[in-house]
Amino acid sequence: MNIISYLNAHLRCAPVIIAAASQIFFLTGCSRIDESDKTPDTFVFARGSDAQKLDPADIDDGESVNTLAQICEGLVRFKSGTLDIQPWLARSYTIAKDGLTYTFELREGVRFHDGTPLNAETALFTFERQLDSTHPAHFLKASFQYWKNLFQEIKTVRATGPMTIEFKLSEPNASILYSLATFPAWLISPLAFESHGEAIVRRPVGTGPYRFVDWKPNQAIILEKNQDYWGAQASFERLVLRTIPDNTVRLLELKAGNIHALDGLQPAELTELFDNNKYTIHAQPGMNVGYMAISNFATRLRNPAIRHAIAMAIDRKAIVDLALDGFAIVAEYPIPPGFLGEPHNGQPPIMHNPDAARKILNKYPGLLKRPIELHTFTAPRPYFPDPLKIASLIRNDLENVNLKVEIITRDFKSHLVAARRGNFELALLGWSGDNGDPDNFLATFFASWAAVEDSATNISFYKNRAMDKLLIAGRQQTDLKQRQKTYEQVLVIWARDLPLIPLIHTEQIVVTRSEVTGFQLQKTANLFFGPVGWQSL
Amino acid sequence: MIAAKQEHKLKAFLIELLHKGWVLLLVFFIASAVIFTAVNLVPGDPVSLRLKNPDPERVAAIRAELGLDEPLINQYLHYITSFVRGNWGDSLITGQTVREEISEYFPATLELAFVALFLGVILGLGAAFSAQWFKSGLWRNIALGLGALGLTVPIFWLGFLFIVVGSLWLGWFPSGGRFDFTLPIPQGSGFLIFDSLAAGRLDMLGATFQYLALPVCCLSLYPAALVCGVLQARFADPRLHTLVRALRAKGLSEWRIWLIHVLRLLSAAVITVVGTNFGALLGGAVLTESVFSWPGMGRYLVEAVLNRDLFVVENSLLLIILLAYLIISTADLLAFFSNPTVRRHSDSTS
Repeated sequence: MNIISYLNAHLRCAPVIIAAASQIFFLTGCSRIDESDKTPDTFVFARGSDAQKLDPADIDDGESVNTLAQICEGLVRFKSGTLDIQPWLARSYTIAKDGLTYTFELREGVRFHDGTPLNAETALFTFERQLDSTHPAHFLKASFQYWKNLFQEIKTVRATGPMTIEFKLSEPNASILYSLATFPAWLISPLAFESHGEAIVRRPVGTGPYRFVDWKPNQAIILEKNQDYWGAQASFERLVLRTIPDNTVRLLELKAGNIHALDGLQPAELTELFDNNKYTIHAQPGMNVGYMAISNFATRLRNPAIRHAIAMAIDRKAIVDLALDGFAIVAEYPIPPGFLGEPHNGQPPIMHNPDAARKILNKYPGLLKRPIELHTFTAPRPYFPDPLKIASLIRNDLENVNLKVEIITRDFKSHLVAARRGNFELALLGWSGDNGDPDNFLATFFASWAAVEDSATNISFYKNRAMDKLLIAGRQQTDLKQRQKTYEQVLVIWARDLPLIPLIHTEQIVVTRSEVTGFQLQKTANLFFGPVGWQSL
Repeated sequence: MIAAKQEHKLKAFLIELLHKGWVLLLVFFIASAVIFTAVNLVPGDPVSLRLKNPDPERVAAIRAELGLDEPLINQYLHYITSFVRGNWGDSLITGQTVREEISEYFPATLELAFVALFLGVILGLGAAFSAQWFKSGLWRNIALGLGALGLTVPIFWLGFLFIVVGSLWLGWFPSGGRFDFTLPIPQGSGFLIFDSLAAGRLDMLGATFQYLALPVCCLSLYPAALVCGVLQARFADPRLHTLVRALRAKGLSEWRIWLIHVLRLLSAAVITVVGTNFGALLGGAVLTESVFSWPGMGRYLVEAVLNRDLFVVENSLLLIILLAYLIISTADLLAFFSNPTVRRHSDSTS
């Protein structure tokens, strides 16, 4: 039989087969979200990376934190949208006059997702495992980095009643209460550790409005409504946190109606969502600062006059407009606006003035011998969505005042290696705040104890005794007015020596469908979907 | 006479096999040494780089726990011995064992790669044979177009195109991911086609293919173009036409001539080109995985490199290299069987 006639005979049915096949595809799946008016069963949020692990005590990436934010809760929390402390799993708290004893009265009738009742004994687990290095849940490979950094003054924690726990501090630290609202202090169930051991870092059990169901790595984390939640019940039966690495695809999925909300888009990618009433763009300055550090090891840049001239040369408003499409604000201080310690009056210490900068720099011809090295990195970070563009804008500004600049670009981790050794002249980096306390920024940037090679967060390696003294005093003071004064003084010394130049505070951006109700951005950048609901347009 | 010929063939095959085994050993040592050196040449300590607030004491304790404070030569020996034993350590980032993670991601990539390869070979064969049979300009142009498309169009661009058409306009396919989360996920081997067949669930199988469709189409164009190109080059060989004429003269049907004799003759070329390009296919899978949010090895490995996830990089890279070598060798051995002219030692001894 001739093959051609054979094929001709059989290919005639091809359109039928294709049509049938497409019908099958159409019927079998189409996980498209129901476009009807009623509240969907499942709320889907998409982000660019997956969570790393789900142990509140050993994470630092936003995706892990924002997963746990649905599952776990702390003794206290930040009142939604603010940095004010609100009792949460604790019904009330008292702080002794000397600032050394914190007592928490726990809420009655709260249960962990595995049924364990919340009481003093079960609440202690979360703190003891971080405090006591011999605790069986003090995993050897876990870093417990936040405990060391935010809670180091806590000496003991114990139950003083069936529903009362008490923290004893070695010395007063005004920021402890704020730290207790942050994720390392969110409670997890001790029973879960007993039954699953170290696997709890992959299957968290908390008290929150959603409970953990399944984790398909690099695809999705699936949560379901906690039917026994002590507070207001969640509106959706399921909450799915999907990982969609490509920004364009994530946006397409939102438009296709397959997801209800997303984050991680670059400012420039948002333009097509403007004036579209199907979507709401939530944006607010985050608790972060993107800065340019000046290394103390760069001897030719040690002179404060030169540092001030460099600062004056940089047009930070242009960075906000050109590199961030307006989704940021100029950073006047190395702390986010509204923080304790921010001066209430007076001129900001850094003003854009290239002419004055040029005049000063002309007095130092030695600077021109070789280009100044400006170190930057490739991948976006929350505080610098486009570090390369920012670096090149800074170079233009500095060349405008007759300085030569060489940009050195590396991947983020390699950049971090150089930065933590102070091995640069100028370097871009940033910090996202943890607990809303100025100490979390100022001691991080300026304390001499944070300038240890290879682990420095004070990457300028700035060391000043007067500064150290003020930072310690600020930690120990409990009177707000007194603290305000102390941190104002810290900022005066900073503005005099200028070891780093604050550039911008970026805005956190979340896009939701306009039907989404009850969503609020938090200063801590945590995303809480518990109160989120649905209202048909 | 025939028995001697068989024996000779077997001997040649064993020599070939021995040779492959020896090269495998060589590849193992060279690759592991290169990987280990590269990983350790990169500046910075992976443990402290993972942390926002590295505390030197704790970092030292974790390094000791992981054995990173040992001399490098001991670390290397530990690396290769524990790799052979299948004990690949934990990811520094997620805390899971590398083995668990690989068993999660590897089946995803292999399933994608093999289905794409299968479809690619079918497409390539189909296009090349159609162009040959119908002798029409249309089919020839289709074959040429496929070759040009598969080899030149970047995968990420093609991926977006597929998503816009297949997912956004038509709404037939999801734009990414591997499975529908409203269905229970089939458990077992990690190969969802087998797992859903084993579970006997047609809805699961349908979802699996629905999610596979776009990335597979995207990824299959490259092997399709390769296969099509190789076959077209062979079809141009006048000796083939002599053979076809001879077979026709023998009275064989067109079916037998093309699908048995010619295909068998050309299969060695197809197998070789597919086998040797398997590495490129895995490379393409990295891009495809990013565009289609596919939870596979490509993205896993790229993230591990960027995050300095030491044990993940060391072990999964070595695994991929060995696997690629095994696949290329298998292709060689298959070609060895299907076409006597590629036999290494037979010419000198016969």
